[in-house]
Amino acid sequence: MATESVKYVAPETETKLQNQVFPRPGQHTTGIIDWLTTIDHKKIGFMYGLTALFFLLVGGLEALLIRSQLWNHNLDILNNREYNQMFTMHGTTMVFLVIMPLSAAFFNFVMPLQIGARDVAFPRMNTLSLWCFIAGGITLNLSWFFTGGSPAIGWFGYAPLTDNRFAEVMNDMGPDFWVFSLQILGVASLLASFNFITTIINMRAPGMTMMRLPVFTWMTLVVSFLIILAFPAITIALAELMFDRTYGTNFYDFQEGGKPHLWQHLFWIFGHPEVYILILPAMGIVSEVIPAFSRKPLFGYGLIVFSGVIIGFMGFAVWSHHMFTTGMGIVATSAFAILTMLIAIPTGVKIFNWIGTMWGGRIRFETPMLFALGFITMFMIGGFTGIMHSSVPIDAQHQDSYFVVAHFHYVLIGGALFGLFSGFYFWLPKMTGRLMNEKIGKVVFTLMFIGFNVTFFPMHYLGMIGQPRRTHTYNLGHGFEAWNQIATVGAFVLGIGIAIGVYQFVSSFFDKKLKPAGKNPWDARTLEWTLSSPVKEYNFARMPIIKSRDQAWENNYGPKEKHSEKEPLDDHGVHMPDRSWCPLVTGAGLLTLILGMLFHATKDLETGVVLERDYMIPIIGGIVFIIGIIMWAMEGPGGYHLFPKEDEE
Amino acid sequence: MIHKILSRQSLLFSLAIILSGGCSRIDHKQSALDPKGIVAQNQYDIFMLSVWITIFLFCAVGGCLLYVLWKYRVKNEEEAMEVPPQTHGNSKVETLLILASTVILVILAIPTLQGVVLMNRVPDPNDEATLKKLNLDREQIEGAITVNVTGKRFFWIFEYPQFGIVTANELVFPVTKAIRINLKSEDVIHSFWIPKLAGKMDAMPGHENFMWFIADQEKILSRTDRHGKPFKENVATAMPSVFNGKMREAVFAKQDFNATFEPVGGLFYGQCAEYCGNSHAYMSFRGLAQTDADFAKWVERMQNAQNPNLKTLQWDSTKEYEKGSVVIAKDESLVDEYEKGSAVIDKEESLVDENSTREFRALSKVSKGDEPNFSSGSWKKLNSNDYEIGKALFLGSQCGECHALNRTGIGSKGPNLTLFGLRTSLAAGWMRNDRTNLVEWLQDSNKVKFGNLMWNGERVDDKHPLRSFKPLPILEEDGDQLKEEKKELNKEKSIRVNQLVTYLLDQR
Amino acid sequence: MSDAATHALEHHEPVTSTGIPSKKILMWAFLGSDCMFFGTLISTHLIYRKISATVGSTTVDIRNIFDIELTSFSTFILLASSLFMALAVSAIHKGNLTSTRWMLLGTIIFGSIFLACQVYEFTHFVTHEGHELTLSHYQGQDHVFGSTFYVLTGTHGTHVAIGVFWLLGWLVYSFTGKMSTADAMDIECCGLYWHFVDIVWIIIFPVVYLMEYAF
Repeated sequence: MATESVKYVAPETETKLQNQVFPRPGQHTTGIIDWLTTIDHKKIGFMYGLTALFFLLVGGLEALLIRSQLWNHNLDILNNREYNQMFTMHGTTMVFLVIMPLSAAFFNFVMPLQIGARDVAFPRMNTLSLWCFIAGGITLNLSWFFTGGSPAIGWFGYAPLTDNRFAEVMNDMGPDFWVFSLQILGVASLLASFNFITTIINMRAPGMTMMRLPVFTWMTLVVSFLIILAFPAITIALAELMFDRTYGTNFYDFQEGGKPHLWQHLFWIFGHPEVYILILPAMGIVSEVIPAFSRKPLFGYGLIVFSGVIIGFMGFAVWSHHMFTTGMGIVATSAFAILTMLIAIPTGVKIFNWIGTMWGGRIRFETPMLFALGFITMFMIGGFTGIMHSSVPIDAQHQDSYFVVAHFHYVLIGGALFGLFSGFYFWLPKMTGRLMNEKIGKVVFTLMFIGFNVTFFPMHYLGMIGQPRRTHTYNLGHGFEAWNQIATVGAFVLGIGIAIGVYQFVSSFFDKKLKPAGKNPWDARTLEWTLSSPVKEYNFARMPIIKSRDQAWENNYGPKEKHSEKEPLDDHGVHMPDRSWCPLVTGAGLLTLILGMLFHATKDLETGVVLERDYMIPIIGGIVFIIGIIMWAMEGPGGYHLFPKEDEE
Repeated sequence: MIHKILSRQSLLFSLAIILSGGCSRIDHKQSALDPKGIVAQNQYDIFMLSVWITIFLFCAVGGCLLYVLWKYRVKNEEEAMEVPPQTHGNSKVETLLILASTVILVILAIPTLQGVVLMNRVPDPNDEATLKKLNLDREQIEGAITVNVTGKRFFWIFEYPQFGIVTANELVFPVTKAIRINLKSEDVIHSFWIPKLAGKMDAMPGHENFMWFIADQEKILSRTDRHGKPFKENVATAMPSVFNGKMREAVFAKQDFNATFEPVGGLFYGQCAEYCGNSHAYMSFRGLAQTDADFAKWVERMQNAQNPNLKTLQWDSTKEYEKGSVVIAKDESLVDEYEKGSAVIDKEESLVDENSTREFRALSKVSKGDEPNFSSGSWKKLNSNDYEIGKALFLGSQCGECHALNRTGIGSKGPNLTLFGLRTSLAAGWMRNDRTNLVEWLQDSNKVKFGNLMWNGERVDDKHPLRSFKPLPILEEDGDQLKEEKKELNKEKSIRVNQLVTYLLDQR
Repeated sequence: MSDAATHALEHHEPVTSTGIPSKKILMWAFLGSDCMFFGTLISTHLIYRKISATVGSTTVDIRNIFDIELTSFSTFILLASSLFMALAVSAIHKGNLTSTRWMLLGTIIFGSIFLACQVYEFTHFVTHEGHELTLSHYQGQDHVFGSTFYVLTGTHGTHVAIGVFWLLGWLVYSFTGKMSTADAMDIECCGLYWHFVDIVWIIIFPVVYLMEYAF
């Protein structure tokens, strides 16, 4: 038998010129096609951010409806089912469609710039992640229009309330929409995280060692690891729930041997790391903002990075503190209580270090700094109430009361959202090339800070005098009215603040009257500030050779030997990968697949028994998905070359 | 010791709350800040400890932050361009701070672990040291009452296995004894939260949970009045007896339903704390503290009602009846009464026959062979006509399919209604249990409690017979005649409901 | 800047910080995540194992349903396929296309045999033993075993099937004449995936099958 050999090509000198198998948008594509087919991490970051800001307004509107309903006892602005749908959608939207994608927007935009990369490792995968996120957002919000309306199961979807057996509307489809949208959002997060991990590990500029990475990039890495290790738990839990609801398996059906406890464990094994997935990016942002506005390097860089990693690691060991009242027994509750207390230590370390950073600095109070300071104080309060909850006897009173609502809003608004807003005010000039109006920024901060505290501080007290959460109303005579009214007023103030802020962000993309930002408006410290604003398509005309941790700062103020160098311009120019339709096709296939699965069964309207299953649409979706992937594999990265001048970056 | 320090601190804390919002009272109906039992007191003490720790930390860290912000703020343009010394950290300071925060956490961890044990285990009656520390007598533990609590959408079943009785939504308990609560659920997850006595524990389907509490009579009796002045209430007014309706009267007399602070000390408010569906907000309950003697009498009444020793006999003309005998006989007048109501409820022949029979008590000895002559002075109706018709309606509207009345009825679909007339509240603690409310509830329970299962039936969109009591809406466009007819019909419905209410409220 | 690096920038594989190709890191990250997927499924199965099979109050012996000889055979086949996979990767590294094709074909055939065994097993359980996905108390059984068994082994089967299709893709590609040693890395990633799926089965087989005979 003759042996056939292939051409030997050394990997590093391989030339693999792909034929243009499919028409791909070329180098000079503009307009809508550009946005649909882009694989540029900056544009993907924009789209992530804008979509998330849109959902922030949607989720905020839901919150305002919730607050209006609680204005007084026995109000009827929403009836109980509508209210329950509202808090379910508010929670799910804010966690999965606002805070996570806002973080992802910054990961996408900032992280490659911070490590000196021209793009992420897998640009097309990044685009697919964006389309999956948008598909998930669409799926979740489509639920309003079908049988039963939106899910009314809480963002935690505790079994067995999600079981068909306990549906309160005949053939309620809400939970199905919830399950499928969370699945596809999980796909989005996983794809993005694989990408970020690979990028940070593999795409660093020469000299950018791991211990020179900016803290924000470190937090991106930690969060990405948290996502790839935590999301499988919820994915499987949701798949089991999907099988329960669609095919009648008995994973969570207690009447047939299933255990509702299992759902809670699986959900919180995901759900607690999720809390850190939400807060660590904000911590990373604050760790960038505070040194910039104090004109000092981060105090205890190593410790901040290490504590971030420890928080991420320990985040997997404390999930059961969400379940102190479910009867896990003395040993388990005690163990989780102690572990939960321990996790407060690395968190505290970060706060000490931020204050240490400011010590001896020159502190300027511009909007990003104000939000960062707001973050520190508000997160501190949220953290303290968190420590209270780690104590089981205290938790026995606080669990599922408004005290907990106050606690996690202090962490997620006062913490995560303030941090992200700080990031917007900090990095948006880099994205748009325009400085935002400081005065409006300060008004936004004032409104948000006051509104936020007026809304959520009274909730501590409301919880202590016995208002349970997730109740659409309260009876007279509990003394809840006055405090709820204060909270509602505060919520509207907060809402106005956020709306102005969002308007300011969006308008800064279009408003030509704003001052140009220049390369480094804040005199900030990390690598992205050596680039022009807005950043050029290819990020770096010449690859920088990194010499120190705060490269932009050292270039301006540091000794000569710490200035970064540049690799010489390349004769071949900068290789840019081609735009591609494949991610959009693949994403559309996935959306068709899940929508098809949602509607595949014809049910008897009276009894809810499945009469017929029709898998035509899911199969079509699946085929489109597979075709997308095959096209993807065949078209290859493609590309064209740009020839920037020396300093065009 | 720690307790004494903490109570002074709790004053300070309430002061802080006054400053923050101008509220002078913390003894709201469901307030965890006003513990009335050992377990809740322990939880409150640990909470206050954590509050002080965190206030200390907040002041220390926040003060430090403010100092830094003030001291190192940029005052002018030149300063903004200065380059401060670029220090990178100080490992000694950081190690010190980590150690300090560990120490603070240990301070919180120790009482936490003790508290976990206290919450989950009733103290051993032989462990005198613990009992002494908790200021308990041995017999308070040994005489513990067990209550099996079952959460259902959207009400609570309380079963007393020691006494073989079942009640719903109002947990009557002796003030001096430890109460052991076994929790389970028959549908989704609920959570039993009684803030002033013991915090909360989930009621899980397919898994039994445990909690316990013991009320503290001293604490129940020491109250504050409406102006915030402390006073001592006496036992009779703080814990009126339930078994003879005194509690109900006291609650009704002393209190507007909307009174913010509870004037009857022995009345505790509880709530389901785990989201359980549409009407989760309405799933509350009450705890009624009783003296030992009153509790024993209540138990006896419940036992009598649920294991009735009153046996009614079918009239038999060949038999002799002693004075005081109770017989069932047909009352023709009642059949007429009942038939008037046929517009409301589909009449079924057998039901009319069965339910229009009623009970009579002999006032003198009846000799053999006489037909019962009810017009004479020898017989007395046991109940009013309204009661009897109400009873007929209760059965005729299939109420009995879900509600056990004078039966134990564990696991029945609806709340057990035995001695319903003694209850202070209605619809799982949501309304005061009086005639007006009960009529409103029965005529349109969906309006009061949207999505309740009595209105919706077991299956979603089930047409429950109760819906026939709902008054017909009188519309503008209706003709005069139709309006008249509707009014007439609504009046009729109202009469029926009132008869049903009479029957229910006479269960006492 | 070195020559090699200059070239690499413009071409398929850019120089990486660690020297490991990005695709390989991606594959390792994915496998790490996949571990958690199977970890969750396997722990679900372990949690439910003891309460899984009862009819009324008497325990059903799952061992009567299993055909342990067949499963042992398919386990062996799947393990053997890993050898073929390793040989295929080695062959492509050496640039031996013929050998690569044969080894890929071997892996595909063995993978398919495993899948065929699983399909037979599932249909046999459902049609002959009445052991359905949705067994419920209507059949007088408290039965979660159906749920955990089919979902766990089914997920694994799906992984194998995806692997088979992936390998099939490579086999077809090898006939286009475009295959070069530059593809070795991609085939190696495919190999990583295949070995991982095998290793998962090595855990599933004792946990789901053998443990029923031991405890």
